[in-house]
Amino acid sequence: MVGTKLSCRTAVLVMIGCSLSTTGASAKTRLQGAGATFPAPYYKRLVAVYQVRHPEHMIDYQSIGSGGGIRAITDKTVHFAASDAPMNKKELETTGGKENIVEIPSCAGGIVPVYNLPGVSTPLKFTGELLAEIYLGKVTQWNEPIIAKLNPDVKLPDTPITPVWRTDASGTTYVFTNYLSTQSEDFRSNVGLGKQVQWPVGQGGKGNENVTAVVQQTVGGIGYVEQSYADNNQLTYGLVQNKHGNFVEASPDTVSLAGAGAAGSMRGQVLAADIWNQPGDQSYPISSFTYLIVYRDLNNLPDKEAAESLVNFLWWATHDGQRYATELDYAPLAPEVQAAVEQALKGITFKGEALSIGKE
Amino acid sequence: MSEVTPSAAGHYAASLPGGVHHSLVRTRRRISSDSVMAGLSQFAAISIFAMLFALLAVLTYAAWPSITTFGWKFLVTGQWRPNELTAPALDAAGHVITEDGEVVMKTMPPVFGALPVIYGTAVSSLLALVFAVPLSFGAALFLVRLSRPWLAVPVSFLVEFLAAIPSIAYGMWGLFVLAPFLQHYVEPAIRTGLSWIPGMNAWLFTETAMRAGQTVVRTLPLTGRDMFCGGLVLAIMILPIITAISRDVLRSVPRAQVEGTLALGATWWQSAWEMLCYSRSALFGAVMLGLARAAGETMAITMVIGNSNQIHASLFSPAQTMSSLLANEFAEASTEIHRAALSEVALILLVMSLLFNIVARRLVVGNDARPATAH
Repeated sequence: MVGTKLSCRTAVLVMIGCSLSTTGASAKTRLQGAGATFPAPYYKRLVAVYQVRHPEHMIDYQSIGSGGGIRAITDKTVHFAASDAPMNKKELETTGGKENIVEIPSCAGGIVPVYNLPGVSTPLKFTGELLAEIYLGKVTQWNEPIIAKLNPDVKLPDTPITPVWRTDASGTTYVFTNYLSTQSEDFRSNVGLGKQVQWPVGQGGKGNENVTAVVQQTVGGIGYVEQSYADNNQLTYGLVQNKHGNFVEASPDTVSLAGAGAAGSMRGQVLAADIWNQPGDQSYPISSFTYLIVYRDLNNLPDKEAAESLVNFLWWATHDGQRYATELDYAPLAPEVQAAVEQALKGITFKGEALSIGKE
Repeated sequence: MSEVTPSAAGHYAASLPGGVHHSLVRTRRRISSDSVMAGLSQFAAISIFAMLFALLAVLTYAAWPSITTFGWKFLVTGQWRPNELTAPALDAAGHVITEDGEVVMKTMPPVFGALPVIYGTAVSSLLALVFAVPLSFGAALFLVRLSRPWLAVPVSFLVEFLAAIPSIAYGMWGLFVLAPFLQHYVEPAIRTGLSWIPGMNAWLFTETAMRAGQTVVRTLPLTGRDMFCGGLVLAIMILPIITAISRDVLRSVPRAQVEGTLALGATWWQSAWEMLCYSRSALFGAVMLGLARAAGETMAITMVIGNSNQIHASLFSPAQTMSSLLANEFAEASTEIHRAALSEVALILLVMSLLFNIVARRLVVGNDARPATAH
């Protein structure tokens, strides 16, 4: 008796299960993405807007961090990944080599030095060398001559400097340490560059929010966060001297200019370009792209239709979708960069077949 | 604290005369419910051991690359550098080596050493005990010997309520309220208060720093997020457990013993002291449990300790504990050796907490087992 009952129930369950799964598969293509937290607000907006216009696509983006995104695309647990730092040589090798991957910039961002100095209202001017010395512990007081010389009109207080850094591995640290390493030989050989480094002085905070909290509470504190984050939280930040000697304030425009400067070196499918310390009169020096990563052949997607919708989403995101970048205070791609992205997207295939893209 | 150990539960169920129930209640069923229960509880008891061993095995496996690379030096060195470093190669005399007019560069692989976090865990936990133990024992004595029932009940409840507050809430309070308060009022006051002791200020409130290219000794900039703040927050977090256990321990001191001291003419203080002495090993066990909790505490300490992987002499400098290091770095650690090093730190923490707990259990249970306490 028990046996019969059980089998009846199982049969019903199986039937329900079948009907559920058939309706699920026929209606929508589900595209999964994961990765960087810094551009997450932008991606979430892109997904939301795109979804309204194309209700047949289900796109899901989870901000789990750049490192997590790269791991996920390597394991093929997602269809597209996002990362602030481009994939390095070793990571590219584990996915089967450079020719298997398409990596495109989606927008750019600037990293700004935020500080807490009550009574100082003029934005302070920094050079890369000064920032390096501060983070090396060689400049420890706000009124030291090296700072005073750069800011002759500002009355600097006799306050100790507390440098604040990210404790977790992050794209922000990656860009900041890379930039400082181009500015100071001392920094490069003693602290070095990477998503996470060993800082000789100061205090750590986990994530942008803790770095911000620490700077806001410490008179004399200095930290580094993305410009959009600093703006959203009304943090005071300084100007940084670029390659041409101009002191530039970070903004979508000045960061975009830095991106345009690197377009000449962007060729092929993996469009990784370092855009810190770029030439250009008004280009902001501590800039970086953030990237979207997919396989060049989208055979990890269920069918050609899904592959096409993914590519078209990427196309839209790097073209019409760019206006949401500006709206959210990220720097849009310069036209020169867009041209390189178009070439890369056109090379994407599904099991060897070309995909029709650019249709809206 | 009256938990039945799993193995004891298993013995209890197994020792029931299962056959009696079998014959009286259900004669037609082959498997008696008692033997099923006994089997299930045995399984539960064994699975707990299995989980512990699995945890140790998995952590050791994950930490293996780090164990083989760094060996015992992992425990006694203080470098924590997850990135590769390319620097000019130096010869024996410390000069830069050049070949054909070019500086020879060498790449140093990532290097990890756990000494600063072991030190941070030890010092912050001990600091927590220094603050928490007198308060806890005082509160426990008050609850057992002084307070009226109408007061004892709400006070007990409030102490236990402290234990139910989520760790992150303590962390946020520590970061936004306690740290600025320490920075602006308490730490400057300590500096002024201790200035008459020779060497004290030099130890606690100065550091060497570079200034305009020169090395100078300067007053330590106070930030409030330091070892001291971490110790204080931990103290508040371990107060409930130490108070609750020591209250129960003191309550179990035989009445005759207490009355005996009073009959011999002891003052209240002397009598209370005798109570503490009588149950010293169980009280020590309570302290060890508090210590284990302090060593493992994560979220709150991460927010207030300053997260610097270096050993600083002063308690008013930022530091790092094993658990805060894991909270800070594990989620985003991307290289194998970095993850292995963090796993090894987790392994050290697990073994340390296990030892604390074993010692504490033996002391507390040993005291309870005295025949005199059954009153």
